[in-house]
Amino acid sequence: MAEKDKFKYRVEIQQMMFVSGETGEPSPETTGIIEEMVRGQVIEMLLQCTQLAARRGSRSISTDDLIFLIRHDKAKVSRLRTYLSWKDVRKTAKDQDPAGGGGAAEPGDLMEEAAANIGSGPAQMIKQKKTKVGLPWEVSSFFAETVPEREDDEDEDELEANQATLQRLKNADERTRGMTKDEYVHWSECRQASFTFRKGKRFKEWAGFGNVTEAKPNDDIVDILGFLTFEIVQTLTEEALKVKEQEDAVQKEQSMRNSKKRKREEFLFHAQEGRTPIEARHVVEAFRRLQTPKPKSRAMRNYSGGVMKTRLSLV
Amino acid sequence: MSSLPPSTWQRLQSSREDAQNRADRTRTMSADENGDAADKEEQPDPIVTAFHERFQLFEKAIPVLFRSDHPCCAAPELDFASLDLDDEEDGTNNHHHRHDETTPKQPTTATVRVEDDDYDFDEEEDEPPPRKPATPPLEPSATQSSGSPAKETKVIAVTRAKLEADRKAAEEAAKRAFHTTFFTLETDRDAMLEQQKLDESDRQVNAEANAAQEAQPGKLANANLGASSLTLKHLIARIDATRERVKISDTELRNLMAEVRKNRSKWASEDKIGQEELYEAAEKVVLELRANTEHSTAFLNRVNKREAPDYYQIIKQPMDLGTVMKKLKQHQYKSKKEFVDDLNLIWANCLKYNADPSHFLRKHAKAMQKITAGLEPLIPDIVIRDRADVEAEEAGIVDADAEGESDDEPLMSSRGRKAPGTKKSRKGAAPQPREGTPDAKPPVVNLIRAESNPPGYHNDSQTTNNGFLTPTGGTPLPNGIANSIQLDMEHDKIDDDDKDPEYQAWKKITKKGRAKVASERHRLFGRTNKLNPDEPALIRSRTGMARQIKTLTKHVRGIEDEEDALIINEEEEAEGILLPDYYHPEALVPEIPWRTIWANDEGEVEMPDETLRLAPRGMFVQPPSELSKRIDANIKQMQETRKVCSKITVIKQMQVQTQMYANQFTKYDPKEFVEKDVDDFVISDNGPVMCPDVARAAFQRSIGKIFYHAGFEEFQPTAIDAATDIAIDYFHKIGKTLMTYHEAPQHERKFEPEEILLHTLTESGVDLDSLDFYLRDDVERLGTKLNSLHDRMKSHLADLLRPALADTTGDDTNFHDGSEQFVGGDFAEDIGDDFFGFKELGLDKEYGLASLSVPLHLLQSRMHNAYQPASSSNATAADGHKPPPPFEPVTGELIKQQVGIVQNFFLAKLHANADLPLVEDEDLPVKQRPPKPRLPPTGKITVPRKRPLSGQGQGSKKKKKPEPAAPHKKAEKMERTQSKQSDDGGGMMSPESLVA
Repeated sequence: MAEKDKFKYRVEIQQMMFVSGETGEPSPETTGIIEEMVRGQVIEMLLQCTQLAARRGSRSISTDDLIFLIRHDKAKVSRLRTYLSWKDVRKTAKDQDPAGGGGAAEPGDLMEEAAANIGSGPAQMIKQKKTKVGLPWEVSSFFAETVPEREDDEDEDELEANQATLQRLKNADERTRGMTKDEYVHWSECRQASFTFRKGKRFKEWAGFGNVTEAKPNDDIVDILGFLTFEIVQTLTEEALKVKEQEDAVQKEQSMRNSKKRKREEFLFHAQEGRTPIEARHVVEAFRRLQTPKPKSRAMRNYSGGVMKTRLSLV
Repeated sequence: MSSLPPSTWQRLQSSREDAQNRADRTRTMSADENGDAADKEEQPDPIVTAFHERFQLFEKAIPVLFRSDHPCCAAPELDFASLDLDDEEDGTNNHHHRHDETTPKQPTTATVRVEDDDYDFDEEEDEPPPRKPATPPLEPSATQSSGSPAKETKVIAVTRAKLEADRKAAEEAAKRAFHTTFFTLETDRDAMLEQQKLDESDRQVNAEANAAQEAQPGKLANANLGASSLTLKHLIARIDATRERVKISDTELRNLMAEVRKNRSKWASEDKIGQEELYEAAEKVVLELRANTEHSTAFLNRVNKREAPDYYQIIKQPMDLGTVMKKLKQHQYKSKKEFVDDLNLIWANCLKYNADPSHFLRKHAKAMQKITAGLEPLIPDIVIRDRADVEAEEAGIVDADAEGESDDEPLMSSRGRKAPGTKKSRKGAAPQPREGTPDAKPPVVNLIRAESNPPGYHNDSQTTNNGFLTPTGGTPLPNGIANSIQLDMEHDKIDDDDKDPEYQAWKKITKKGRAKVASERHRLFGRTNKLNPDEPALIRSRTGMARQIKTLTKHVRGIEDEEDALIINEEEEAEGILLPDYYHPEALVPEIPWRTIWANDEGEVEMPDETLRLAPRGMFVQPPSELSKRIDANIKQMQETRKVCSKITVIKQMQVQTQMYANQFTKYDPKEFVEKDVDDFVISDNGPVMCPDVARAAFQRSIGKIFYHAGFEEFQPTAIDAATDIAIDYFHKIGKTLMTYHEAPQHERKFEPEEILLHTLTESGVDLDSLDFYLRDDVERLGTKLNSLHDRMKSHLADLLRPALADTTGDDTNFHDGSEQFVGGDFAEDIGDDFFGFKELGLDKEYGLASLSVPLHLLQSRMHNAYQPASSSNATAADGHKPPPPFEPVTGELIKQQVGIVQNFFLAKLHANADLPLVEDEDLPVKQRPPKPRLPPTGKITVPRKRPLSGQGQGSKKKKKPEPAAPHKKAEKMERTQSKQSDDGGGMMSPESLVA
C-alpha cells in the first residue's frame, strides 16, 4: 500500500514502456525508478523555466520558456508544435461546435491524428483554423512587424519534422503489423497513456508545482509537460532496452564460453519465451548514459581544471 | 668543484694563510697611508678577508668552469700561475695601483707624506695622553704642527691629497665594480628622494640668501663682488651707472661676474684676506656633507617646530646644514673655528635632543660626525681679516716674496692651478709675525705658519676671539672627543655588520647618477607605471650610441683592455655622474638580429629588402569565402526587410492615429556593412602582427556581424564585450588543443593534420555534423527563409496601402503591389494637385520612407479615412443601429429652441464667437479642440498593478543604443597603435544609431 502511495503512475509508465518497445511486464521497482527520474526531470524543467522567465522579467512561465529548453532537439520541438497547433484547432472546433468533436479524439491521439490528417478528410476547416505556433527565435520574429500567415506556406521545418514523425509512425506500424485486433486495441489504448490527461491536478501535486514555481502554470504548460514526460519515458525505455541488449549479448557470450563443454540444446522459441523485462539496473544505466556530459557542455572548461559541476541534463 | 685541478685546492688552502698576512698588510697600509679614522676602522676581519680571497679565486675559475660558446667570451686555458699573480695584484696591490694612478701628479707630496707620517708617529709618542686607535686623524698633524709649525700647511695639503686620492680610489673601485657586480636598483628611489630633498634645501638656502641681499639693494660696487672688483673695476662702475636698466638681481649679476673671471672663486674678496680659501674649502665640506644623503637628510633643514614642539626648549642654539650654507653665503664666518663649531653643533644638537640611545637619528648624527671629522683637515686654518687692518700692520714690514713654493696648492680646488687666493692671502698674511713668534725661518714657511699657528696649541678654546687660529682639532667641544669616539664605536657596530664597504662606496659614488636616472624615470612613468604621453620621447644620444658600440666591440675583443672599458659621457662626467652601463637602456639591448642597419653616412645608403616594408592589406578584415558571402547576403536581406517593416509600421500607425507629423517617425535607412581595413602600417619582420587592440576590435566586429545575423538589430556594448571575451577564450582553448596535439610526443605516433583538426574539434565540443548543420540550417536555409519573408512583407505592405489607393483612383489595377506608383508621384496627380515641389523637397527616386515623409498628411488622411469608415461601418452593421444625426451648429435661431436656462450661456458664447455658428467640440479640427478637462482625484487609492521585475524586462526590451562615443574611443586607441580602424566599427554595432 505504501508503495502504491509513493508511486502514482505505475500503470501509465507500463503502458508507455509497452509502446516504446518493452513487451514484458516491468517490475514495480523499474517503474518506480523511472517515475522518480521523470519527476526529477519535470522539476528541473520547471526550475529552469522559472529562471528563464525571471530573466525575461515575468513571474509566470510561458510555453516559449518550456520550448526553449528543448530547442536543440528540432524534431521534438516540431512535434511539440504540431501537438500544440492541433490542440488549438480542437479547442476552436469545440468552441464553434460544442456538440461535435467531443469524445472521439483524445489528446493522446493527436499525434496520430495530425499525421493522418495532413492533406486529407475534413482538412478544409482544419487548415483554416490551424495556426502556427511562433517561437521568438525564429526568423519571423526578427522583425518588428508580423506578417499574416499564408496558406500555402509549407515550412521546411515542418517537412523535416513530419519526416521524423513518419519514421516513428513507421516503427509503430512495424510493431503492430503482426498484432491481432485485441492486441492492437490494447496498443492504442496504451498509446493514450499520459501523466497529465484528466489528472492535471494529480500531476501538479506529484511534481510539486507549488514548491517549484510561484506562478500557477497554465494548462498549456501542463499539457506540454505531459507530452514531454511521455517522450522522457520513451527515451529512457529505448535506451534501457539497448543496455539490456548489450548485457544479454555479453552474458550469452559468457555462458557460451562456459558451457562449451556440455552444449545445451537450443530451443526454437527459447529466446522469445525467455525474454525478461527491463530491470531497474538497466534503467539506471540508461539514465547514466543519457546524463554523460556532452563535449559541447564542457568545452569551455578545457584547461581550466577544477571539478566540473553539471546540472541535470534534460533527457 | 671536484673538476678543479689539485693545484687549485692547494692554492685555496694556502690562500687562507695568505689572507691572514694580507689582512695584516692591508691593515697597516691603511693605517699609515690614510690616517683617516673612518678607514682605520674598516680594518677587515681576517675571516672576512679570507672569504674575500677565496671568492676572488673562484671568480677567476668561473670562466673555466662555465665555458661560454661565445667566441669572444671563451676564456683561454686557465693559467694558475697567472691566476695567482692576478690574485696577488688584485688583492694587495690595489692600493698601490690606485696611488700610482693618482699620485704621479704630485710626486713631491708623496715623498713628503712619508716623511710626515714618520714624523707624526714620532711626535705622537711625545704626547702625554695615549691615543686610541680611533682618534681622528687630524690630531696627529695638529699635534705635530705645534712642534714644528713650519710643516703645518704641508700637512694640510698632504691630508687633502690623501683624501682626494682615497676618493679617487673609491671611485675607481666602484667603477671596477661596475663590471664585476650587478647592484640591484631598489635603493634608487631612496637616492632620488634624498637628492630631491637636497636640491630643495639648496633652493631654500639660495632663496634666503637672496632675500637677505635683496633687502639692502645697493650698488654693485658696494656688494661684495670679491676680488673681481679690482680687475673689473671699470666694468662694475659702468654697470652701476646703468644699474636700473639691468633687469637682473644682484645675485645674478654676481654670478655673472664670477663666470667672467673664470679663474677666480666667487668667494674671493679684495677686502677680506683669506676669505677665498677658507670659504672655498668650507663650501666644499658643506657640499660634501650634504651630498652624503644617506645620513644627512635629517640635517638639511631647520627643525620644524611642528614636528618637534619641544625642540627649541631643549636646543637653545639650533643649527643645520642649510643655515651653515646660508651663513657661508652671507660671509658670516670669520674663521675655520666658527665654521667647524657650527657643524659640530648640528650633530651635538641632534645627539642631545635624541637622547634615547636607540634612536635612529643618532646613528646618522654619528656618521655625520665621523665624516665631518674626516673632512675637517681640508679646511685651511685661516682667520679672515680686513685688508685695511692687514695693510696697516703691513706698513712697516718688508714684503717678502712668496712665490716659488707651491707644494701646498690646495687640491680641493678643482682647477688645476694654484689658487690665487692662496698667494694673495699669503701676501696679505706675510707681514704679520705677530706676538713674538720666532721668526728665524725662511719667509714663506714663516708666513704660513704665522698665519695659521697660534702661539700655543692647547689654548684653542680661548684663541678664537683675538684672531688667533685654532688648531684643527677634531672636535671643539670639550667632551666632543670622548663622545665621538664612543659614538664611532657604536656606529661601527651598527654599520659595518650589515654593510659591505664596496657596496657603500658604490652607492655613494653613483648616488647622484642613480638619483637622476630614477627621477627621469619617475617623470616618464609617474606614479601609475604608465607612460606619460606629455613627456618628450626618449631619443638616442650620440654618447649613448657610442657607449653601446664600444661595449659591443669590447665584448668581442675581450675584456682585457680596461682602458676604454669605461666610456663616460663627457657631460655626465662634468656633472660628476657616474653610472654603470646597465643604467643606460641602450646598453641593455640584447643581441637581436637587427633588421635595421646602422650605416655610416658615406655617399648613398642602400636599403636591403628585409628591412621595413608595408604590411600586406587585408590582415584585419574577413577573408573572402563562401560562408562570409552568404552571411553578408543574409544581412543585407534583413536590412531590406527591416526597411519594409518600418514602412508597415508607419502605415499601421496612420490607420489608427488621426493626426500625424513627418518627424514622428525616424527614418530607417540602414547602411551597408563594410569592413574597413586598417591604414597602411609598416612591419619589419615576417610572422603574425601582434596588435591586440586591433585584433580584438576586428574580432568584435565579426561577432557583431554574427549577432546581427542571428537577428539582433541592436545590442548593448557590454553584451558584445562579454561575447568577445568568451569567444577569445574559446579560441585560445582551440589553439591550445591544436598545439597539444601538434606537439604530442613524436615517437609514439604522429598525428596527421586532419587528425589533429578532428581531435581538436571534438575536444572543443564541435563535430563536423554540427558545423555542417550550422552551414546548411543557420546560413543557407536562413537565407531562403529571409527571402520568402521579405516577399511576404512586401505584399503585406501593398495590401495595407491598397485601400487608400483604391479610394483615390477607384480601381486597384494601377496599384498592384505597389506603392511604387503611388510614391513616385502618380499619387500626387490623382489628388489633383501639383506635388512636384515635394519631389524636389524630399521625394526620393528610391521608394522609401523619405518619400513618404513629405505628403504624409495627405496620405495619412486617406489611410485614416479609408480605414476608419471600414471599421465604423463594420461596427454599425454588427449593432444594427444607425448613428444619430450629427448635432447642428449652434446659431442664433437654434438657441431660441433651447431650454431657457442655457440660452444666456449660448448667447454669450455666440457673442464671443462673433455671432458665427458654434461648432461642437468634437467636430473641431484637432488642433483647435480645447484640452480635455482634468478630472479631480477620485479619492480612491489606486493600487498600482504589480509588475515584478518590470525594470529588468523593460531594460531588456528597450535596448540601449550603443553610445556613439565608443567607436570613436576605439578608433583613437587604434590610431595609437598605428593602425586606425574606420568608424564603421560603430555602424557595425548598430546601424540604427547612425540613422538617428
